[in-house]
This record gives sequence, structure tokens and C-alpha cells, in this order.
Amino acid sequence: MSEPLQTVSIDVTVNGKACRRDVEPRQLLVEFIREELRLTGTHIGCDTSFCGACTVLLDGVAVKSCTLFAVQADGAEITTVEALEKDGQVHPLQQAFSEQHGLQCGYCTPGILMSSLALLAQNPNPETQDIRKALSGNVCRCTGYQNIIKSVQAAATVLRRS
Amino acid sequence: MEMKFTGEFSVDRSKKDVFSLLSDPEQFAPLLPGFHSMEMKDARTAEIRARVGIGKIGGIASTELSLAGSRPPHHARYSGRGKLMQGVYRLHTAFDLEETASGGTLISWQGEAQVTGKILSLAGGGIRSYAEKQITQLIASLEAALSTEPAPAPPAKPGGWFSRILHGLSGTGDTGAPARVETQSAAALSKETQAARERVNALLDAPHADSRPARREDDRLVKGKGFFVDDYSPAGLLHMSLVRSPYAHARIVSIDVSRAEALPGVACTLTGDEVMKMSDPFIQIGAGSPQEITDYALATDKAIYQGDPVVAVVAESIAVAEDAAQLVDVQYEPLDVVLDAGEALADKAVLHDEAGTNTTFSGVYEYGDVDQAFADAAHVVKIGKLNFHRFGSTAIEPNACVATWDQRGEIDLFSNTIMTVPLAFLAPALRVSMDQIRLRTYDIGGSFGNKICNYPYLALACLASKKLNGAPVKWIETRAGHMLAGGCGSERVYLDTEVALDSDGVITGIRSKHIDDIGAYPRYEPLGSVIWSQVLPASYKLRNIRIDFNQVTTNKGPAAPNRGYSRLPHIWFMERVVDICGHELGIPTDEMRLKNYIEEFPYETPNGCVYDSGDFPAMLAKAKELVDWDGWKKKQAEARKEGRLIGIGIGTTLDSGTNNWGQARYVNPHAPFSGNSTAATVKLDLDGTVVVSLGTFPQGQGHETTAAQVVGDVLEIPPELVHVKTGFDSLNDSHTGQSGTYASQFVVTGLSAAHGAALKLKAEMTRLACFALEAEEKDLDFGVGDMGPQVCVRGTEQALNYWMLANFINSNSASLPDDLRDLSLNARHVYMPPFKVPDVEKKIGNLTLTYALQLHISVVEVDPDTYQTRILDYAIVDDCGTVINPMIVEGQVHGAAAHGIGAALVEDISYDADGNAITGSFTDYAPITISTMPELKCSNRQSPSPFTFHGAKGMGEGGGGPLHSLCAALQDALHGQDIIIENSHNSPMSMFERFAGGSEKGVTVETR
Repeated sequence: MSEPLQTVSIDVTVNGKACRRDVEPRQLLVEFIREELRLTGTHIGCDTSFCGACTVLLDGVAVKSCTLFAVQADGAEITTVEALEKDGQVHPLQQAFSEQHGLQCGYCTPGILMSSLALLAQNPNPETQDIRKALSGNVCRCTGYQNIIKSVQAAATVLRRS
Repeated sequence: MEMKFTGEFSVDRSKKDVFSLLSDPEQFAPLLPGFHSMEMKDARTAEIRARVGIGKIGGIASTELSLAGSRPPHHARYSGRGKLMQGVYRLHTAFDLEETASGGTLISWQGEAQVTGKILSLAGGGIRSYAEKQITQLIASLEAALSTEPAPAPPAKPGGWFSRILHGLSGTGDTGAPARVETQSAAALSKETQAARERVNALLDAPHADSRPARREDDRLVKGKGFFVDDYSPAGLLHMSLVRSPYAHARIVSIDVSRAEALPGVACTLTGDEVMKMSDPFIQIGAGSPQEITDYALATDKAIYQGDPVVAVVAESIAVAEDAAQLVDVQYEPLDVVLDAGEALADKAVLHDEAGTNTTFSGVYEYGDVDQAFADAAHVVKIGKLNFHRFGSTAIEPNACVATWDQRGEIDLFSNTIMTVPLAFLAPALRVSMDQIRLRTYDIGGSFGNKICNYPYLALACLASKKLNGAPVKWIETRAGHMLAGGCGSERVYLDTEVALDSDGVITGIRSKHIDDIGAYPRYEPLGSVIWSQVLPASYKLRNIRIDFNQVTTNKGPAAPNRGYSRLPHIWFMERVVDICGHELGIPTDEMRLKNYIEEFPYETPNGCVYDSGDFPAMLAKAKELVDWDGWKKKQAEARKEGRLIGIGIGTTLDSGTNNWGQARYVNPHAPFSGNSTAATVKLDLDGTVVVSLGTFPQGQGHETTAAQVVGDVLEIPPELVHVKTGFDSLNDSHTGQSGTYASQFVVTGLSAAHGAALKLKAEMTRLACFALEAEEKDLDFGVGDMGPQVCVRGTEQALNYWMLANFINSNSASLPDDLRDLSLNARHVYMPPFKVPDVEKKIGNLTLTYALQLHISVVEVDPDTYQTRILDYAIVDDCGTVINPMIVEGQVHGAAAHGIGAALVEDISYDADGNAITGSFTDYAPITISTMPELKCSNRQSPSPFTFHGAKGMGEGGGGPLHSLCAALQDALHGQDIIIENSHNSPMSMFERFAGGSEKGVTVETR
């Protein structure tokens, strides 16, 4: 433990930008994203993969970044909440969450947005049950979830039109 | 068995590139299918471990692979030998390279393999096809590695070898972030991965728009740009980890930090002994023996709950701090624990030796003529014991702070605390004045009251920073730490309850003994001994009440205010009483409520509280309509015939907001508190911007949005032109000792303060404009003109915009007449609700300003074998007076409902007989998720409060409606089985344990 830990070099593409970093093998992906890349939109809420505040997309699949080591993401494309905004403009998913009041304190929101993005990428027209299933690993303590379901539905409608 | 394979393929890379890859075992070996790890024996030979599998046979095979010969840059060959499961194999492979016309390289290869041993008989004829597949994969990997557009490895590939090779080949060096890597080669990715990436990227490319946030907070929050404590990392930041007691009650015999301090990267440790030297115990709210309790930022002589912090370790990274924490050696001598409220009251074991008792409050709340009510009663219902369980709101952002105690002796404390009261705890303990602590918050990831009590940790981080000469110290609570020690609601038991009713079923009197179990440290909790009495009769008109109220400490995590603080457990008690009485006397549940509801508003309760406005019967009627009461009654009757257990329950609840702090004197007559106050400032800044600073600590309630609405209304400009500062900063001077976000009060205190400050600013602007425009006040109009927000003379073109007005005061004052030199254009207003000091002797007084009402109806079905409860329907009607922002109000209703449903059916913080926490993580505690949450049917009534300037009432806490309605629905479902719902928590397991073997019914009815 007192020996300096060896590092491993990893290459990832994060929000479309390639980057290479030397990381400790024990570093969690969420720590890598927050501490190394300073992308602080991805949050930590429970340490045990229950709350989903740390959800990001790994090659298009929603994963809890507190459950993966950074080295496991080597070679992958990672998408975090920061990818949604473009040039200051918001993605329809972000707009829908605001309009439908699908967030209050906003701490769980990035994770919920990423799980929702993964769902809509797979299923552009989800039923309520599909949304419940896709977001069953994301805990929100503020909203009671009802407006989150409405937000995803509203976003799906807008995105289908576009 | 011998196999031979040959083939060729070409790539767009030069012979030299290809040769350098193929002739380097360190680069070539990782391309082998199933590659796991390797070790170079020498420059030409590698020991490779790779996963192999044929049918059900598989494992890690070890192969020694050597570069047997090479002729740069034309030829390379390898030989290998290895063992796998009682078998031996040898490999030979050779590559010949030839330049193509296009400048690429044609690679011809041949391979031979010999396999012997038992593996042959096991794998049979599968070996050839397996080998072919392996070769195909190897060639695909080679092709991918040698393609012009290099591709990273699939994510499952450990170690990053593949990527390193790619970067080596593409010449991108070690530090760059080559653009070429952004485009991925299809060859290296599975089709599935490629498709998933493309789907997401296509979705991300959907047309974007300028943000039109419904709340101004949303813009940053949906972009991941919220600024939470853990996002703050100043230069030189150090991280604090805690060593917590593994025992619920133990004497600390010795602490050895030497091994921890020796770990490279560790900055310092802190022990209880040092904390005692550097600081004083936190003030205690209670009177008498609880005043003797010594509560320091770390445990000193004893740990009194599992999770009690014993040592702090500060290091350059949290990982090192956690490593070091494990090297701290603490010797404990375990002591007897006390976990039951009744046993704690009897001082079976005492936590705080210096106080000599576990009791932190004991008092009788008696109103009316209780004995006469019982003497006159037609029915007396006796309920042996009711239990309100321990649960927490578990905000997703844990408690957190970054503390810097600089050389000047000034403390910068960036945290997620939620009121200024912690300053009153922190400053004396840290031996500084309040103004030496700059308390600030930005975005807060939920609190629901809990974060009021994070001040011991804040103090600890401050002390660590002091010890480290002003280095910033960050402390972020872990979820495990939160579940043990981060604050949750208290437990309460209700013993020997007796209810007097008249012959018509109207409740005339209640007498009962309540014990509040607050866990290990009192901290804010003594106030919970009185706050429940804000809702003494709940929604009912009885006048004769005697409650013997006691509060005790036990060897469990310290409780903290939790959404619905102290009132919720009391309303739950009253709701159970009304519901049980109705069932026992055979009165339909809706009729039972209607017989007992308070009818006239404003209504003064027996203890002097004034319920401001509302209409319970109308709310009940509306909720019945929403849920289709009659329809469910029919379905329930039919289901019962089939043996199905469907229940329909009503929960009527109150959310009292804006405390009269004078009630603290019931707990401690010397408490220097009364009334309530908060401040806000509204100023015209140097450039004319309207800037609002609030004394509140919003955690998702949209204070920036609603404050901008109110200030904009006063100044007659759109809210977009009002800048509201995010979060709280004591430097803004917009606070009083009671400022904060607690007790459902922002809409009243916070907005009244902002409203008052805006009026003051407007009055100053009016005086200034009269002078500058040479006009009469009656001729001025506020609004927005060509030059932005302005004041103009009605019907003329004479106008001054806000910058011009601000400039007079801030940069151009020489032209001002003397009588305008008192202006500041920086208006501070302190709002003080019209409270009086309560009568402490009689415990009578108006304890809160507003009462929002909610009525819940739930329909449930209980599985008779598993006791699993399913919610079939759910309706809520809320009335919080005039609604300032309907969207935000509805969001609060939903959120409070989720907390109540979670607590009633899922969430329970529990301990074993030794005080070990059973719910030490989210995995065990399992807060309610979207899967469990039913759809809510919501409606709203608006009975304006006569006591607030806008008619609005505080409403964020919700009053725990689901706990009341779900327990009532379960009672309704199970009543035929002689079961009394006596616990607030009714998970399948808890109900099964209670009812499956048959239970003693703890209720009797005496009819005279």
C-alpha cells in the first residue's frame, strides 16, 4: 500500500475528443471523468452502483461509472452529460426535462439524462413501462419520478419529429 | 494432431511499419485472440497468457512465444509452445511481406500447429474449427491494427496494449490526442458496438435550441454545470477521510496513528484528544442535564454509535486518505448498548455519562379537560403501542464541505449546510466570531432537512485546515458514512393511548405517552420535542389532549430534521388513532373523518396555534372524485368475495410552515429565541443590474426563479432582468440568525424579505428619479424602455434607465442634493412575521404562521401470502394557498409523496441487537425507485392565507400523506383479519414477521 502505484496508459474518446492518460489501475471511471478530465457534471451518489448519478454512456450503453475502473474503458467512446449541449444550445432532452420539471436539485439529473439518452437511442418511441425499466437504476429523491417520465416522453416526441 | 493453415491479406501501410509490428513480440502478442497478459522473457521471447475455450473446456493457456527469425523488413517467424489442461501444443508461424503497387503491403502467412495429450480426446474434432476461428480473429486484429485509420481495442480488452500499439504505429506520440482516433474503424469494433455508438451520436446531433429553461436554475443543471461542493477543487486541496467506530457503544482504550501518518501522501491525522485541545464542545439546546452533554467534532473517551467518527485522516488524495484510515489502530472496550426507546428512558445503559441520563426532554402537553372527556365518553378505544420507524430522505448529494482556515484566522467554509444556525454551533466551538466564518453554498443536491446537522463534520474539516496551516481540506461523506451517521428522521413510540369518543363517533379526548428516539447526539433534536405540537390536534377538532412527551438518546446514528420534521410522526399518530377508532366502531372511514374534521378557518387549536385557511371536506370530496372512490368500493367488495385484500385509505395532513422560534423555550426557557426572521438584499449594482441576494439555501426548490418573479413584479420589469445570486453567501449580508431553507418557509419568509427589499429599493429609486427627472412621484412609471429597465415621466420621453440611476449613487454623487445622500440603492429588508412569545408555562402560543393542507387517498392490494403491497391507485389534493409557481408546487407534492410512499413500504433504517447497522448502503436501504412509484393523480385547491402578503403558504415538506393514507389502506385491507396497522413501516418482510403467525391485537374498545 505504501509503494507508489503503477499507472497504466489508457486511450478514450470522451464526448468526441480523444485523450490519453496514465491512470492508477484502481481508479474508478467516475473518478477519472471527474478528477482527471474535470468533467464534473457526472456525480457520485452512493458508491455501490445503486443510485445512477454517475451514469455515462460507454460505447452507447448506459453504465454506472462508479462500477468500472478507468482501465476498463480503454479504447471506448464515453459520452457524459456535457456532450448534450452544443455551443451553448440545449439538446431536446435537456429542454424537455426543464419544461416538464423533471429535475429539482439537479444532482441526479446528469445520470438520468444519460440513461434516457441511451433508452431513446435504442427505442425512439418508448412506452411508460420502457421508461420505468430504463431508469430503474437511477434514484431521484426530489421529483417523485412522475415528471421524469413526462420529460422522457416529451423528448421522444420532439426527437421523433426531428 | 497436426494442422496447417495459409493465407494472405494486404494493408495500406508501408512494409516498414508492418514489419516493425510483426517483428516485435511485445506488440504482436497482444493481438492474439483471448490475450490476457504477457511478460517479456527477453527481447525476443514473451510468456503469454491467453484465454482459450473449446465447447465447455476452457481456461487460461500459457504460451512461450519467440521470434524465431527475421529478415527486416521482409520476413518474420515465430515459434511457440504451451500447455493447456493435460495437453501440449506447438506453434510455428511465418510472415512474408511484399510491397504493393499502391504503396501498401501484401502479407502472406503460414502456420502450423501440433497438439498432443488428453486435450485431444476432450475437445475432439472441435480443435480444427476452433483454430481456424482463432486465426481469422488474429488476422482481423492485424488488419485493424494496420489499417490507415487506427482503431482502439474493444473495451473489454484489458491493459490498453492495443491502443498503445495503434498510437505507436500512427506516430502520434505519447502526449497528443490525435484527431484520427476519433474516427473508429469498423473492423475493430463489433457491429453491435458500432451501431450503438452511431445511434447515440445521431441522437446527439438532433437540432439544438437556445435554452428556454422553465426555471432559471435548470439551464446550468441540465448541462451538468451545477456547482456542487465536490466540484470545487482549489489549488493545494487535501482530502479528509474518517475512521469510524465499528461498535455501537465502546470505550476508546487507545489510538495509534503512527502507521497512518507514515504513509506517503498523508498530511496529518486528528484524534479526539487534539480536537478537545483545539475546540470546545458544541452548544446544547436542551435544558438541565442535557446541557452537560459534551459533543465534540470527534468522539473523545467513548464512541456511542456505530459510525461515530474517532479519527480523521487528511491526505493529498482521498484514495491515500482512505488507505491511511485503514492503518489507524484503535483499541475499543465494548459496552452495553441501549437501542429501545423504553429501555433508554429507563437508563438501562447511559450514553452520555456526564449527563447521567438518556432523557433529553420530558414534559406534559395538556389542554382542555381530558379526564372529564373520558368520564363523559360513550366509547373508549385503547391502543397499546404504535411505532413510527426510522428512515431518511437520503439526498443523493451527501454531506460535504471544503474548509480553509487561512493565516488571517478567517475561515472559508464552502458546504452544503442549509441554514445559518450551524454558524451558531460552529463559531463558539471553533473559538471564532461568526463573521470570521464565511459560510457559502452554491448548488445543493437535496437536503430535506438532514443537512442542518452536518456541522460536526464541517468543524472537523476546519480544524484539519487549521492544523495544516490553512490548506483547503475537502470532506465528502460516503454513502456508507451517510447511512451510519449522516442524519435521518427520529423514531417515535406511542404508548398506552386512550381515545374518548361520543356516541356518534366524534373524538373528544386523547391521552398518550410518546417517546422520541433521536439516536446518539441531541444536536438540533431537542426542538423536535416541541415542533410536533404545531399540529397538536392534526386536522381534527378535539379540544382535550394530554400527551406525556419524552425524548431519549440511544446507540444509533444521530437523528436530524427530516422532511415533515417532528410534525409528520405526530400527524401519523393522530391519523392512526382516527382510522383505528373508525374501524373499531364500524364507522365508514370517510364518515369518520367528516365527523371529526376542523370545519371553520382560521381555527385556533387547543394550544394556541392558528390554522389559517382551508376546507377539509371539500378536499376529501375532490380526492374521492379523483380516485373514483365509489368505483373502488365496488371493486373492493367484489375482490373480497374472491379472497383478495384490497384496501382504500385516507390520509389528511398538515404542512406547518414558518416557525415561531419562541417554541424553543418550551424545551429550554432560557433559549434566546422567538419569532422568525430572514433578510434579503435587492440592489441596483454599478451598471444598473438588479441583484438579489437571499438568506436561503435552496436545494432544488427554485428560489432563484420565484424570487426573480416577486422582485420583477415590484419593479415592473420581467423576471429575466432580475439577477438572483445562486446559493447563500454570508458575505452578502442577506441573512439573520434564523435564515435558511427549513420548515416550509421560503415562500413566506424568503419571498417576503425579497419583496420588502424590492419595495425599499423602489422607494429609493423613486426619490432619486423625482430629483433627476424633476417630476412628482405620482407622474413616474416603472418599466422597460428603449434603454432597458427605466423610470420615466408618464406621457413624456423623459426617462432614466437603471444604469443612470445607479450611477448617481455609485460614481456621480457630487450633483446630489443633501437630502438624497442617505440613499444607497442597496436595500436590505428583514422580514419578521407577526408572532408573539408563547406562554412557556402553559405551552400555549401560535407556533407557525401558515398551514398547507394535503389529502391523500390510496388504494392498495395486499398479497395474503407474501404481504407484498401493490398500490392500485393514488390521488392527492393539496392546498397551499395562493400558488406562486404551479409547476414548482406540483413538483414538491410529487417529491414529498415519493418520500412517504418509500418510507411506508420500502425504506427502513434498522439495527441488529448489538446496534450494528443493517442498512449500511443504498443496496440494503433501497430508496424508492421509478419502478415502485405509482402514478399520482393530483389536484389543487387554493385557500389564500390571510397572514402572508401574497396569500401563499409554505408547502415543501408535505406532511407525510402517504404514510397516513397507506397505513389506512392497509388497515382497510386487513381489518377483517383482526389486524391493527400499528407500524408506520409495512414492507412485506415486516408485515410477514408481524402477521403471518397471527398477532395479538393491541386494541380494545370499551363501550358504556
